[in-house]
Amino acid sequence: MSDTNPQRDEPDFFRSSAFVDDPYTYFNDLRSECPVKQEPHHGVFMVTGYEQALQVYNDPEHFSSVMSTSGPFAGCPIPLAGRENDDISDLIEQYRDQTPFGDQLPTMDPPLHTAHRSLLMRLITPVRLKENEDYMWKQADEQIDTFIAQGECEFMGAYAQPFAVLVISDLLGVPEQDRIEFRRHLIKQEAEGAGIGGIEDGDAQHSPIEWLYEKFAAYIQDRRDNPTGDILSGLAAATFPDGSVPEPIDVARVASNLFAAGQETTVRLLSYAFSLIGDRPDLQAQLREDRGLIPNFVEECLRLEGPIKGDFRLAKKPVTVGGVDIPSGSFLYIANSAANRDPQQFPEPNDFKLERSEARTHVAFGRGRHACPGAPLARAEAITSINQMFDRTSDIRVSEKVHGPPGARRYSYLPTFILRGLTHINLEFDPI
Amino acid sequence: MKVHIDKDVCAGFGFCLDLAPEVFELNDDGYAVVLSADVPVDKEEAVRTAVMQCPSSAISITENN
Repeated sequence: MSDTNPQRDEPDFFRSSAFVDDPYTYFNDLRSECPVKQEPHHGVFMVTGYEQALQVYNDPEHFSSVMSTSGPFAGCPIPLAGRENDDISDLIEQYRDQTPFGDQLPTMDPPLHTAHRSLLMRLITPVRLKENEDYMWKQADEQIDTFIAQGECEFMGAYAQPFAVLVISDLLGVPEQDRIEFRRHLIKQEAEGAGIGGIEDGDAQHSPIEWLYEKFAAYIQDRRDNPTGDILSGLAAATFPDGSVPEPIDVARVASNLFAAGQETTVRLLSYAFSLIGDRPDLQAQLREDRGLIPNFVEECLRLEGPIKGDFRLAKKPVTVGGVDIPSGSFLYIANSAANRDPQQFPEPNDFKLERSEARTHVAFGRGRHACPGAPLARAEAITSINQMFDRTSDIRVSEKVHGPPGARRYSYLPTFILRGLTHINLEFDPI
Repeated sequence: MKVHIDKDVCAGFGFCLDLAPEVFELNDDGYAVVLSADVPVDKEEAVRTAVMQCPSSAISITENN
């Protein structure tokens, strides 16, 4: 079923802008041919089937997460040529510290990943996330205060970005007086287009995350010297599962990853959710009528327009997925956005169904050991924001001035192969 | 059937608790733990669903033979 000959005129998913507006038709076409199919330009195996995506995500024995956010597109220091039949596990470890984003949790493999993820799970326990929700309600309300009287706004800049930064700042216990600095710094970085998975090669080693590393390493060192009983002191005291004490930079990396992973994604999820609320008066009325439907509404948003389009894996050993033989050293692109529209798992997959019972089995947060630990946070942020906006308005509409009339809306999307999301969303509303 | 949760992998999504509250509970931090490793026969189906739906794939089962 695999097709290894560079061929014909299929546009390059990773380098062209052909699929930025609509990646779904391409994914559906691929899946119809075969749920695991090698694309002709870079030899990346595109995994578009739900079952096959789960197989890969759940098999760290055969698939390494090294370069999971960049694939071969930010430089690959590992000499993979000619190793098609070998077990390249040791080779990967040998070059790991030279790989892009190699010091970050999403690219680690067990046993290192298990230790560092465990550290993260001690920092953001589900109970701590629950406590954070109280703050979230208040923060949402205050953020809405800043624009509600105008009756219109660009929702991402006015609400989603500042809200997401402040929520994570609170979760990690960033002192109140520093939060303005976080907000200014992180949102500015974002506006400059720094990020992972752009169609252009970026300078992967020089990332905005350096600022966060320094900031958190200083907090951790300070709280180790002078514990105050605050949340940062808790982070400073957290240990690896074997009881050993992490270096401050280890804790700083894990904490910083939360901003890197939880900021952009939440912003795009909120943007899509509100564009849909504004676009579909019928849905909006139904949700306003029965707020209990909001959680499943959020799951369908995640399934149909999840913010992470896909993630890479590198085959460590020769392996077969979906009947396709995959040589060692091959990159696979696990297209979450494609798996989430696999008709085998989701009947009538392109329809938004509020009552869809299997909605939450989507892989918008990935699956397995690397499944997004911020998922409960993202869900709570979306549910809180929708409830608060409903409380403060009687009607929410997509701006015709900016996006055109119903049926002929104009939306623009992020030009990256990792992220899926609107570049901006202008809303109008009737405040109450 | 016996059920096991890998505590290094559980991320506290809580799906298992929704599906089989008789088999799973949450510890003080909010992570899932197994109430009784031996699954009652009438809960086996729910536990299988939990294995499939667990976002972090932290749950495993062994069948008694």
